[in-house]
Amino acid sequence: MADWQIDLIKVVFIWAWALLIAVVMTWVERRASAMMQDRLGPNRAGPFGLLQPLADGIKLFTKEDIIPERARKILFILGPILFALPAFSTYAVVPFGDKIVIGGKEIILQVSDVNIGFLYVLALSAIAVYGMVIGGWASNSKYSILGGLRATAQLISYEVPMGLALLTIVLLYGTFSLREIVLQQQGTFLGFLPNWGFFKQPVGFIIFLVAAYAEANRVPFDLPECESELVTGYHTEYGSMRLGLYLFGEYVNLVALSAITVSLFFGGWALPYVDMGKFLGPVSYGIASFLVFFLKQAFFLFLFVWVRWTVPRFRYDQLMGLGWKALIPLGLVNLFVTALLVQLTT
Amino acid sequence: MPRRPVVKKEYTLGERVYLVEIAKGLRLTWKHFVFNIKASFQKGPHTVPTCWQYPEDRREIAPIFRGAHMLQLNDKGQELCVGCGMCARACPAKCITVKRGKPAEGEEDKYAGKTMCSTFEIDMLRCIFCGNCEKACPKNAIVLGQDYELAEYEPGLCIYDKKRLISNFLKAKAEGRLKPPPAPIPIDAPPVKKKAAVKKTEPGKTKAKGGERAEKGKGTSVKEEDKGPDK
Repeated sequence: MADWQIDLIKVVFIWAWALLIAVVMTWVERRASAMMQDRLGPNRAGPFGLLQPLADGIKLFTKEDIIPERARKILFILGPILFALPAFSTYAVVPFGDKIVIGGKEIILQVSDVNIGFLYVLALSAIAVYGMVIGGWASNSKYSILGGLRATAQLISYEVPMGLALLTIVLLYGTFSLREIVLQQQGTFLGFLPNWGFFKQPVGFIIFLVAAYAEANRVPFDLPECESELVTGYHTEYGSMRLGLYLFGEYVNLVALSAITVSLFFGGWALPYVDMGKFLGPVSYGIASFLVFFLKQAFFLFLFVWVRWTVPRFRYDQLMGLGWKALIPLGLVNLFVTALLVQLTT
Repeated sequence: MPRRPVVKKEYTLGERVYLVEIAKGLRLTWKHFVFNIKASFQKGPHTVPTCWQYPEDRREIAPIFRGAHMLQLNDKGQELCVGCGMCARACPAKCITVKRGKPAEGEEDKYAGKTMCSTFEIDMLRCIFCGNCEKACPKNAIVLGQDYELAEYEPGLCIYDKKRLISNFLKAKAEGRLKPPPAPIPIDAPPVKKKAAVKKTEPGKTKAKGGERAEKGKGTSVKEEDKGPDK
């Protein structure tokens, strides 16, 4: 097989996989939230209600597509696409497994090992904001524009701490490539702790996680949609599959964000203390590394759901206060200390 | 009323850092999550303690529940209703129509009394399920059953006629969901009280007895006076 064929297979596989997880996540979100609130959740369509996302999808596709009068048509159509596309594209640089050897050929389980993978992720997450802002501003509605404004302010203020947290990781590992970072996280340090970013950068991890929740517009930072104040915020005027793209893009975003979290802070595909490559065959090692990565990712996906149904929404000024007055100073101090330590130890 | 001064709660450092509090909250939701997941694997009529899956699982209905009416038959299969119209008089919603009639010749075996109801209709759209008809009935003929799914496609179908009321009874009997007959009213209940209290209770007791009698007398008088309570 030629290289481009392998690449194509990888692209299609990871695209379908991300889609599948996102679809299942919509189901998990509803069932898990039901279980946390002593309800049952959707359980009629298929076994355990597993076909519910399918039913929802069919419903969204068959609904009438309405573009409100005096909305900016082109921008209105562009909004959901701009929102969903970056979410899908983020997965291109995520190392979702180590490597698999088929037919004497070594295949790296990553769509492309870009040496600036890091910046790519940051850039795409910044583009996704435009989807929300444009969608909100183009739909000629008060709720939408308020949602769009909030999205702008919130995402500007949370990009900064996120960048600061990620910079510490770059300082630690000295590279922008996500695969390199994962490779450097194998083994242990201080004798017993896994060599994970989480143990080396706990403060950075917390800042990153909080910023990721704000980035994904999840409760407690779901101010752009904010059901109780803004109907549904930036996508109030949307219907049919355009709305579906927004809702679905949110879950794809979650999948991508938790994948980034795992590969930056939790050692990616590697198990702590155990080197799987020693006792597994080349093919089974590839599959095992993929599964380990997925399990870690699944935990963070569940954490998104778990936090959503536990914590109430922040007030707008509290959100801004937390971003500018707590996270950014904390991130700066953390960056300074990390830089100092890295300078002293090397 | 004097206003209480508003005291702002001072948060401790742990509360202001907020992460510990979030962890506490996560623990609580996790408890619920685990409990409900475990409960959903238990065998039983419903899957989660607080939820009943309605068409499949139904709540147990109390024996005194007041649902759809039925006209009872006695053990010999004879209609108990004599068409007196007491139920129609007692009905606050005026949804019962009864006409008294005499059984046709050769059909006397079908009825327990000397008379019968030639029509008996209940307008279920007006019925408020108060149970007064049941209380007023001297023959324990009309009874409110346990059916509560009374929706129909047409309003006309909500007027239950005699046939339907009897079929309600037969259905309930087949499913064993009949109400036990009301306990007889204790008239000569011996007063189990202290000697000192006996004097005080006696007048009240006689009063109650008198009231019962009066009611009964009234009932019979109406029965004799009214030849069909068509209003």
